[in-house]
Amino acid sequence: MNLPIRLSKSSREPIYHQIENQIKALIASGQLATGDPLPSIRLLAKELEISSITIRRAYQNLEYSGFIQTSQGKGTFVAEVDPAMKTSMASQAVEDAISKAISIARQHECSDEDIVRMVKTLLQKEENQ
Amino acid sequence: MTFPLTIRNIEKSIDEFHLNIQDLTFEEGTISAIVGTNGAGKSTFFKMLMNLVKQDNGEIEVFGHSVRGEDDAWKQQIAYQAQTMIGCDAFTGEQLRNLMAEVYPSWDESLFRRFSEKLNIPLNKKVQKLSPGVKTKLNLALNFGKNTPILMLDEPTAAMDIPSRNYFIQFLLELMERGDRTVLIASHQADDIKKLADYLVFINKGSVTRLLEKDSLVSSYRLFWLKEEPQVSRIPGEIKRTYKKVILSNHPEATMAYLSKNGLVIVDEQVPELEDIIQEILMEGEMINV
Repeated sequence: MNLPIRLSKSSREPIYHQIENQIKALIASGQLATGDPLPSIRLLAKELEISSITIRRAYQNLEYSGFIQTSQGKGTFVAEVDPAMKTSMASQAVEDAISKAISIARQHECSDEDIVRMVKTLLQKEENQ
Repeated sequence: MTFPLTIRNIEKSIDEFHLNIQDLTFEEGTISAIVGTNGAGKSTFFKMLMNLVKQDNGEIEVFGHSVRGEDDAWKQQIAYQAQTMIGCDAFTGEQLRNLMAEVYPSWDESLFRRFSEKLNIPLNKKVQKLSPGVKTKLNLALNFGKNTPILMLDEPTAAMDIPSRNYFIQFLLELMERGDRTVLIASHQADDIKKLADYLVFINKGSVTRLLEKDSLVSSYRLFWLKEEPQVSRIPGEIKRTYKKVILSNHPEATMAYLSKNGLVIVDEQVPELEDIIQEILMEGEMINV
């Protein structure tokens, strides 16, 4: 199974961290449900073209924080995650996306009012569709 | 802990050529790519590990046993694929299979059959009748069949077609799943290195680097696109400048500190491609700071 993970070449965030966060986001958004299998370390390493050492590190951290479970000989699966945790992670993901948009707006020297106006316009547009 | 393969302080001189390896330890369950230009000494390196070329100094151990010891049982722990199949021309694939199955107690018939059938290797033809690509495939099938804990492959994908190469990669990764195999692979294919390798070892002008973890190596370099051209010819960490404003750094922290201190604006930045890093290391003899 292919996971929709996209590594950013421009980010200063370490790769194992990017993988960890994207898998967490997939779990929070429900794209990965409890019990879903994750690709083996070797397979994901090949797909993302990074070393298996990096993937192992990301999987270990995810397992440690209770997002995934590995059972000997069977593979790695999505663990049962507290719904409250999922909700807080989902809002975190939205906040991160908005923060990124704000920093791009700042590069283009937009004022607070400009940004708020743009958001309102976009919301309006979405409603009309 | 006993490692599958350890190398200590190896020196070898052949005429003008000197090869020097300080210390290399290959861990179980890892794939290491041996990277170097043609004639850099990659094949000599492999032959030395197989005790086919004797080193002048130093020690090579396979699971703790010296390859120069009297007991050569260690040979059954390694499947070694040289660039050419020497002395096999008169035999068919089936005949070679019978030979290998006898020599290697770990022989796994299903691995051999699965690989041969998938790639349509004609096992009843004599090796001399096979094209270079098919020879390589047969050689791989035999080496996979040996089912040894250590696999050393010298340019295994050189003459292979794209679907076969993809299947080879998939097959090798499946073999790795059990976690108790150790693979050394020399390849000029960036794709092989990207998809397979955990570690890289560079052989350049006879000197051999230590094991460099692939992702740490890549992230120790960074490309910066600047708004303006820096006034000094070489800023901290800079190893290459293109289009006057694009800086390749092998010390990103130092480069960023300098840029921010001097008010130079970074328009964009990213980690370079592995190919570009290999190019720098092999052609420019770039120092490795990992």
